[in-house]
Amino acid sequence: MSIPVNEPECRTAFVAMGSDCEVCLAAASRHAIDEAAIAAIKEVIRIEEKYSRYRNDSVVAAINRNAGLDAVAIDTETAYLLNYMGTLFQASSGLFDATSGILRHAWNFKDCVIPTEEQLQRLLPLIGWQHVDLNVGTVKLRLDGMELDFGGVGKEYAADRAANILKERGITSGFVNLGGDISVVGPRPDGTPWIFGIRHPRNPNETIASVAATSGALATSGDYERFFDLGGMRYCHILDPRTGHPVTAWRSISIIAPLAVAAGSYATIAMLKQGDALTWLEESDVAYIAMDQAGCVYSRP
Amino acid sequence: MPRILGSAILSAAMALPGLIPSAHADSAPESGIISLRYLSYRDKQPGLDRITVSAPSLYILFPVGREWAFSGSRVMDSVSGASSRYHSSISGASRMHDTRQANDFNATRYFERATLSIGAANSTEHDYKSEAVNVTGTVSSEDNNTTWTLGFGNTNDSINPVNNIVVNEKKHTRDYLLGLSQVLTPNDIVQASMTYANGHGYFNDPYKMVDNRPRDRSQSAILAKWNHYLEGDSVLQSSCRYYWDNYGIRGDTLALNWVKPLSNGVTVSPSVRYHTQSAANFYYDPVYDPLLGAPFPLGFLSNPTGFYSPDQRLSAFGAITAGFKISKSMAGGWEADMRADYYQQKSGWRWFAKGSPGLEKLTAIILQLGLSKKF
Repeated sequence: MSIPVNEPECRTAFVAMGSDCEVCLAAASRHAIDEAAIAAIKEVIRIEEKYSRYRNDSVVAAINRNAGLDAVAIDTETAYLLNYMGTLFQASSGLFDATSGILRHAWNFKDCVIPTEEQLQRLLPLIGWQHVDLNVGTVKLRLDGMELDFGGVGKEYAADRAANILKERGITSGFVNLGGDISVVGPRPDGTPWIFGIRHPRNPNETIASVAATSGALATSGDYERFFDLGGMRYCHILDPRTGHPVTAWRSISIIAPLAVAAGSYATIAMLKQGDALTWLEESDVAYIAMDQAGCVYSRP
Repeated sequence: MPRILGSAILSAAMALPGLIPSAHADSAPESGIISLRYLSYRDKQPGLDRITVSAPSLYILFPVGREWAFSGSRVMDSVSGASSRYHSSISGASRMHDTRQANDFNATRYFERATLSIGAANSTEHDYKSEAVNVTGTVSSEDNNTTWTLGFGNTNDSINPVNNIVVNEKKHTRDYLLGLSQVLTPNDIVQASMTYANGHGYFNDPYKMVDNRPRDRSQSAILAKWNHYLEGDSVLQSSCRYYWDNYGIRGDTLALNWVKPLSNGVTVSPSVRYHTQSAANFYYDPVYDPLLGAPFPLGFLSNPTGFYSPDQRLSAFGAITAGFKISKSMAGGWEADMRADYYQQKSGWRWFAKGSPGLEKLTAIILQLGLSKKF
């Protein structure tokens, strides 16, 4: 989670995708700001509705309903996103798997219950991007009971889309912050960078580092978003698709990249890479700030 | 499973729609461009160096705000050499030298998902003047993946050949264009367009003997293009075009172009193109009337006012163009490029049919140099 440190000129807060969100802008007139902010927020809500797995009328619901049955016609935007998630699957050697969301049936973070191995083994065969049949204009989940989930990219994609809408409306100063995933529209009105603090994974009131940005994006993946602690162990929502168990190596990994969607993907995959995370991020030539379970902070500018 | 490096994630993210103000979004270009080019064209047939053209040109693109862009260009052609007076006959070749000056101006207004541009052009040679106007509009879908293009052009020419074979002849042409561009996948863009031109007036080559063509000409073409992005940032552009007109010419053109970025801002693009066509139905083979001799076609006397043309461009042939372009982007918005094309046209290269007999092959070399700067 990242928190803007300097107070922006004009802030519109809203709730979407289960997170606190804000659009912060500076522009010539209050009217221009309002119009642009509304267009950006509408875009976030459009993406939330289109890709929500909680809505019966969403694209995801239609794809999942037809798992093991039929190919579902998809529009170009959905095809792009599925194609992108296919790239993530390959680039992560299978760790980022958009079909692993089915594990939520076993993991109940509200009631703090560790699922039995048997419960997990029942779900694991239904996970596997290789069972996603992506063709021009259609997608099909080959196995009955499989579930596709855009949760791994939806929020960051929405942040970038909203920021781009602001840019296309001529806004040159501001940022979009969706639950700590930030896409910068442009520097502060005086040309100086925005300063974003990276939240301490164990103490919400403390930051572990700050990042100055005039453009680009910042996204964080951490073990403190949905989790429970039991017997001295933290069980977080980032689950290894091979075992069904939560990752444990890192408290949080923040990535600075030109796009929030890329930053978010790097952060999630790095969390899943566990002990290999930093080597992989170095190889990928990505700037990061990471905190391990001992509280040590590692960074690469 | 092919291994993909982590660094591929960013480029894959960049390909997602609507995340960065895209080059083909409907807003005016962010920077202006000034470019100087030089083109040299030289064609020849065995035993005859035909036409040499050297053409320096200047082009300026000037955006005003986010909604307007203006562009203009000026070309000065200098044409010299010999053009055969009929078929590919060398003996009848007439020497000539001419200069041509052409200007065009274009204004484009950018709307949220649409563009509208109007243009005007003129071209002046001492025996040929041409004036043209055109209007083109585009409309894109909300996701910017589909773009429709509609265009209309009007051209008025006046022809005053130095041999006074005709005086103050006119030609009037109207052009129509309908195009569709569709992003199919993140790596594939297809385009289809249909053009139709309807002209009325003087279409003859005044310097060719026995050249009398219909005064109405309608030309149609369907073009399909496919741009496919390959791994490693290279693009394979392929296109095919089918052409037909009321002169009886049917033509097919297939083209392949590979654009490959190398390191240090250098891009290379080899290309190859094949064109084949049937002859116009009034084109006559170099078989001459036994009484009148060359260049009069067999049976000319029985129909002296009929349509005839010995123009090699209206014959049946096949032609291959092989080209190579190299460009380099440099600091400060500078870019330099160089392009060479080799063209050869032969009757025997016509596809699935015989070409027009008795014609010499024609070869041409086209060289282009360009230097441009963004500002």
